[in-house]
Amino acid sequence: MVVESKRDLEFIAHLMRRAGFGATRAEIEEFGERGYDATVENLLNPTDVRWMGDYMVRRFHHEQSGMMSIQAPGTNWLYRMVTTTDPLLEKMCLFWHGIFATGVPKVAHGKVLWNQIRMFRRHGMSKFNDLLVELSKDPAMIVWLDNYDNHKGAINENYGRELLELFSMGVGNYTEDDVKEASRAFTGWTIGNTEYMVLRSERDSDWPYGRISWYSDYRTEDHDDDEKTFLGQTGNFNGEDIVDIICQQESTARFISRHMYHFFVADEPPVPAWPYTPPRDPAAIDALVQTYFDSGYDIKAMLDTLFHSEFFKDSGVRYEKVKSPAELVAGVLRLTGEFDRPRREILDRGSQLTWMGQFLNNPPSVEGWHQGIEWIDTGTLVERINFASEQFGNLDSPGVKSMIGNILADERKSPGGLVDACLDEMGVLSVSSETRDALEKFAQQSGGSPELTDSERISMMLRLAATTHDFQRA
Amino acid sequence: MTTVQTKAGTEFLSYALSVGMSADSGRGCYYPTDTLIGKNGRLYVINRSLEGLDKGVRVTMCDIDSEYYGTFGSYGRGDGQFVWLTSGAMDSQGRIFITDEYLHRISAFDSDGNFLFTWGKHGSDEGQLDGPSGIACDDSDNIYIADTHNNRVQKFTSSGIFLSAIGSAGDGKGQLSLPWGVTVSPGGDVYVADWGNDRIQRFKPDGEFVESYGEPGNGNGQFTRPSSVAVDEEGYVYVADWGNERVQVLDPDGGFVQMLRGEATLSKWAANFLAVNNEEGDARSRANLEPQIEFFDPDDPHEVSSKIEKYFWSPMSVKLDAQGRLYVTEGNRHRIQIYQRTPL
Repeated sequence: MVVESKRDLEFIAHLMRRAGFGATRAEIEEFGERGYDATVENLLNPTDVRWMGDYMVRRFHHEQSGMMSIQAPGTNWLYRMVTTTDPLLEKMCLFWHGIFATGVPKVAHGKVLWNQIRMFRRHGMSKFNDLLVELSKDPAMIVWLDNYDNHKGAINENYGRELLELFSMGVGNYTEDDVKEASRAFTGWTIGNTEYMVLRSERDSDWPYGRISWYSDYRTEDHDDDEKTFLGQTGNFNGEDIVDIICQQESTARFISRHMYHFFVADEPPVPAWPYTPPRDPAAIDALVQTYFDSGYDIKAMLDTLFHSEFFKDSGVRYEKVKSPAELVAGVLRLTGEFDRPRREILDRGSQLTWMGQFLNNPPSVEGWHQGIEWIDTGTLVERINFASEQFGNLDSPGVKSMIGNILADERKSPGGLVDACLDEMGVLSVSSETRDALEKFAQQSGGSPELTDSERISMMLRLAATTHDFQRA
Repeated sequence: MTTVQTKAGTEFLSYALSVGMSADSGRGCYYPTDTLIGKNGRLYVINRSLEGLDKGVRVTMCDIDSEYYGTFGSYGRGDGQFVWLTSGAMDSQGRIFITDEYLHRISAFDSDGNFLFTWGKHGSDEGQLDGPSGIACDDSDNIYIADTHNNRVQKFTSSGIFLSAIGSAGDGKGQLSLPWGVTVSPGGDVYVADWGNDRIQRFKPDGEFVESYGEPGNGNGQFTRPSSVAVDEEGYVYVADWGNERVQVLDPDGGFVQMLRGEATLSKWAANFLAVNNEEGDARSRANLEPQIEFFDPDDPHEVSSKIEKYFWSPMSVKLDAQGRLYVTEGNRHRIQIYQRTPL
């Protein structure tokens, strides 16, 4: 599809809000020149990927190099979300972080939590079976769900249970015996220097020389190599075999497909309600399930299907998803362009996520965050609105300067034209008629005060638009 | 051993000891960025601290025997306070000058840590600063500052009067990219860790370009984002090869002499901590701290250093004392590894 109209640009804008963190007007027009299909291809298989870079960040933010605290990985991640040319990869990391939620207090170690996110970056768009094997070896996960304490002859079921319940199949699709047999298969999957590392984590000890990053360790002598029966299949299974059997299940395909729909298309109810609440769009789930099996559990192939589907392009799902705090903050900062170089202010921007209810690498529980409208309560709504408004009010931000310059140069000078120009600069934003009426009324009132300069008046318009129901959604 | 033999078959430098330990207040270090060596042998360890934990920002005073003499400075914007303190230098009067790359200023203290004065103005005009990082004093008490985001080194009097500038943005001879460490050699030449260009550059005191050492890479004599440079009386050049998590020694002609990867042992403070906290000490004694690990990327030294404690991890500064000993300050390991010339 080659983009030819405003409506087509709105398609691209929708894609970039969902597959990324939104885009500037100029970026959307550039993508529009290439067309929708080429833009999807570039999201799935980007070339010449750039972001601010590890060296730049570590030079100025030393804690983002050592990562002793749990704030550092989230702040580093925000830099990536804000400056990367590969936003879908960061969205997929957020996707998996929400499902395989891992954090404090059991893992009081920013570097190993960050290493898990880096693992998502390497495997999050590959085969699902590969991802689950890497997850099972991930040191943070091993400590988070106690698999270091899962021994031959004395199993700890915590990881085996969550692998089935929360990470792949969902409740109702396996038995208690399957949990036990899966746990037996993962005995011996632990971390190196278990005693010392777990003790330091429990004590939150960074003595004497800072934290030592963990590594996975397989102990043959502690692995139960006897015969096991899992989901009807029998053999001397190890962890990789359990993952293979899990990935063969239709329940797994449906579980991951529904998560994907929930994250990229439209809000579903929280996961605990899924066993007795049908999907919003069963046909969409069927399509994703089909691709899951046809592609050999390939996540990227499922995304390809999703972004090209009619259920994704349907105007009925547009602006139906509440942006997560990470999506909102990263999206605003990409527009304002504040972080053209490392700046200490990123700490405050990272803290905003926490105040809005999403402390990255510190989810509320193993279930992760409930998405959708649950992001909004009276406290977080105020935080969201104040944050967005404040950022667009900073006339020193290069992105805000650029937006104002473009709007001043726009030929649309009437109050309605000014509103259109502002909404375009905010990422070809479409708004409801009620929102538009309110913005136009504000524009007719000279942005609240006739004393304002043109730049200040436009900034006030941007600030007001950022507080709207429409901007707060994707 | 990770050191490389010299041409003569002996190691040029050998490990001596470590000083420091992670601590967010009082005795200890917290993300140290530099160690200033006083003429009285006192060490002034400049602690950037963990971002968001204000109390760790300070200068820790100790010596090579791990005697502790207290701290000075704190987080803030007032006199004697810091936000992003980075490097330090001492003049002939024993006054300490410390850069702050967030506040774009230099703060001066006496050798006991009493605040004296501050100067510096944010900007890109002559004499203004944008992210001052490395700092060095010459024999006449002039001060050279790596003016990072302005891609130059500026020379001031100790009271902050602008004298001259070296370099401009770029990667040509004499040009700089986000310079970090700067030092004045015993002969008076100015050496700059040209961080973004992966090289060390040498200038005459008047700013005339002399020579460039190194090229991008991780081989012998190559650098990745060097952070600091020191030069001894004989002209040997010591480089904190920060991006490669190592230190390199070059001969006076720039030829490769030795690479150090780090050999830290327990400092006195660390040994004391583990003796008192014996549950951790016992668990540590049973751990293998030099394991054979299948790294995801064995060529990523940052990742390797995060898992092998004795290796350098974020070596930010190299300094020489009067005896020719080399002090390597490691940000992420909160310690200083000290090396000495191997007797002939």
